[in-house]
Amino acid sequence: MSHLTDEQFEEILGGTAPADAHLDACPACRRRLADHRAIRGRLREAFASVEAGDGLAERIRAAVRAEAPAPSPRARTVARPAPWRRWPALAAAAMIVLAIGAATLVVTSPEAHAAQRTLAEIHQAAASGEVQFHTTADTTELAEYFRDKLGFTPALPRLGQGMAIRGCCKAHFRGGIVGSYVVDTPKGVISIIVVNDMPASMGMTRRAATGGQEIWAGAFARNQMAAARLNDRSYCAVGEVPWPFLADLLTGLVPHDEQ
Amino acid sequence: MADPKDFEKEALGHLNGLYRAALAMTGRRDRADDLVQSTYLKALKRFDSFTPGSNCRAWLLAILRNTWLDELRRAGRAGVVVPIEESLLSGPEPVEPTKWTDAEDLLENFSDERVIAALGELGPEQRLTLFLVDVEGLSHEEVAEITGVAVGTVKSRSGRAREKLRERLLDHARQLGLTGGAR
Repeated sequence: MSHLTDEQFEEILGGTAPADAHLDACPACRRRLADHRAIRGRLREAFASVEAGDGLAERIRAAVRAEAPAPSPRARTVARPAPWRRWPALAAAAMIVLAIGAATLVVTSPEAHAAQRTLAEIHQAAASGEVQFHTTADTTELAEYFRDKLGFTPALPRLGQGMAIRGCCKAHFRGGIVGSYVVDTPKGVISIIVVNDMPASMGMTRRAATGGQEIWAGAFARNQMAAARLNDRSYCAVGEVPWPFLADLLTGLVPHDEQ
Repeated sequence: MADPKDFEKEALGHLNGLYRAALAMTGRRDRADDLVQSTYLKALKRFDSFTPGSNCRAWLLAILRNTWLDELRRAGRAGVVVPIEESLLSGPEPVEPTKWTDAEDLLENFSDERVIAALGELGPEQRLTLFLVDVEGLSHEEVAEITGVAVGTVKSRSGRAREKLRERLLDHARQLGLTGGAR
């Protein structure tokens, strides 16, 4: 007796063909059908509770907005409707409001806002251990991790006196991979995230220049952010600690071999 | 470049389905995250060519599949596994199909993670085909469109993939001492 073909079998299993008369007479095919139904059911059950993590949608939104340029503020003002022209004073006032709006938009454009949010998320995920995290207090090991995974050796804060490295990890930022490390400090836990982007492109504003080094400032939710340029990279310090502390920490970064 | 808001509105609703497919492909949550993100960024670039009202889920799944296969190729792991596995499985039907004493009872012994991991031991195309047919409940025609093969190939591939998955689970059951070597 020839058994059902694979194709017939799949059609019966999928319900697109009625059960074949052969099944009534063939215990082997009946058993095979029951086995496959059981596997299909178990497979479906195994994936039933699988959902994307909470942060993934936000991460994708941020990446999508960073990829696609937002419409320019100029285009928005030009598109204002004609009735404004009838009231010159009101129109002038409106233009001022729009100009302020445009200036605000430059600082807190969707991409910039997304960048600071992503930095905060990277810090949150690394500090809470939600991500694959390379735990090490050894700066040489951390430097090796960066060299292997990211192709450079990061500058580090001076350790001791309440400052200790917790570990490091890779993260996605604006469609690329960046490295970060977590430091326990006397003020609280912070992350140093090393990115290629300029601080201004992440919506940060220049706030102080200490010892000839320019420091930028940003914030997202409860996180303060400071950024400094070092060796053509931006070192972003993120954490729920006062901004001056982050700025001081960045000005004190030294090459790994000077630890 | 497409308006990101239009894109998000159309595409982000399929995030969970895409994530499940990515997990089925990669077997690891962190890699599934990366694969889904790469898929969305590729889809954004091609969104101008997407026809509104057409099957967005199938379109995204096809991009996810191609992205994953590209990654495997770059890693030097694709192009060999699938043909070998499929050629081994395309032989004549076994004279006596393998037997499970009680398939449903035996399957209950595996955790969800173990079942997903066993699926990950199949070749990439078998894995995706079986996932789309059995888990996502797509029609053979839809899966053919996503995977770029004939409908008949989808039917034979999903049957063989299920057969293969059953063998993998049976091997694990033996290792766990859950079955006395019955086949």
